[in-house]
Amino acid sequence: MAVKFFGQFLVEQGIVTRDALVEAIDLQDHKNLKLGAMAVEMGYITLADIERAHNAQMSKDMKLGDLLVEMGFLTLIQLNDVITRQKNTHLYIGEALVQVGALTSENLQKHLADFKADQAQYVSDGIDLPVKIANSNIWEMTADLTYKMITRVLDLQFRAGKCATVDVLAPNFMMAAMDFSGDVEARYLISVSEELQQSVARAILREGSVAGESAEVLEDTVMEFVNVVCGNVAAKASQMGVIMNINPPVTIHPPATGMPVPEGHTALCFPIHIGDGDKMELILLIKN
Amino acid sequence: MKKVLVVDDSLSVARQLEKIIGESGDFVCVGHAKNGAEAIKMNHTENPDIICMDMNMPGMDGLTALRTLSVMDKEVKVVMVTSLGGVGDKFTEALKLGAKNVISKPFEADNVLRILREL
Repeated sequence: MAVKFFGQFLVEQGIVTRDALVEAIDLQDHKNLKLGAMAVEMGYITLADIERAHNAQMSKDMKLGDLLVEMGFLTLIQLNDVITRQKNTHLYIGEALVQVGALTSENLQKHLADFKADQAQYVSDGIDLPVKIANSNIWEMTADLTYKMITRVLDLQFRAGKCATVDVLAPNFMMAAMDFSGDVEARYLISVSEELQQSVARAILREGSVAGESAEVLEDTVMEFVNVVCGNVAAKASQMGVIMNINPPVTIHPPATGMPVPEGHTALCFPIHIGDGDKMELILLIKN
Repeated sequence: MKKVLVVDDSLSVARQLEKIIGESGDFVCVGHAKNGAEAIKMNHTENPDIICMDMNMPGMDGLTALRTLSVMDKEVKVVMVTSLGGVGDKFTEALKLGAKNVISKPFEADNVLRILREL
């Protein structure tokens, strides 16, 4: 029982072969152009324009399309043209498997229904806080920005699970934490397995392998990820008129029994399912 | 070659910056300080041309160190490297205290070198 992508589900169920899935993914890569590439193909912008927008995107929480418009490389009408073309020509993995002859159109619908039933527990319909809590817009933004940074900084594919309140923080290999003060008081925690710590380290250090790195460096990379997210959360909060100060990050090694939530706090837990059943958690320990 | 001192409590950020600086061809990294107090000491012993400094560090933070450095050493050029670059007040405060620029995290090598070369 784990989070899966549709292709992986089909292979595990023996419905399609691995080779057929690879062939279908290659077909998708060939046909599905990213927004920038599509805009280039449509003759609206150049590769140099995309590079400049990508550089600007590192310090701005904006989608590439919006940034291309803001920087004057695309008009709004052109952006809409590009998005429409992307939508109209997008090839989903199921359709790609049909095109390479691994599935029939009729079977595809049945397998999609089975897949949705299998994955229902992991699906999150946006960010939905389970309790009424002060500054809920800030906590929703914090979770949203964390998701975006997992994609942008860590380059990991994930599926966000449903947020729940918890009384005990579940044990994991390590946690990195940062305290917020100012208009809100809370602790931001990211909990990772040993395998995910390695993934974070590879992305932060920009190295293909981190096999020879010390435990201190590996832990530091998770703290740095937390630092990057929380700094950007503080920036976003300031745009929303809320002052959030941050303090230097720390690491925590939770006991096997987990860590009880301190009295007077609400703990919001956001499960983040990554690839092969591996799980990261974002926990917001909010002072009531 | 211009000498650069890296100041960051994060080993991984220091590693990234040292790599970018070391591979640039026109800068050399002369050391790594883990907080503002160490930065002030190493500015005296290593005499760097440029200091790349984090804002949020345990002990003496980056803005406090910047305040001291701008009084003690009029020659050294300080660039803040921080995840708080998007917080308007922090950005403005750093520039008012004498920082030459602010690099937001996450950063790209090209952007870091462009800013250092413009100093």
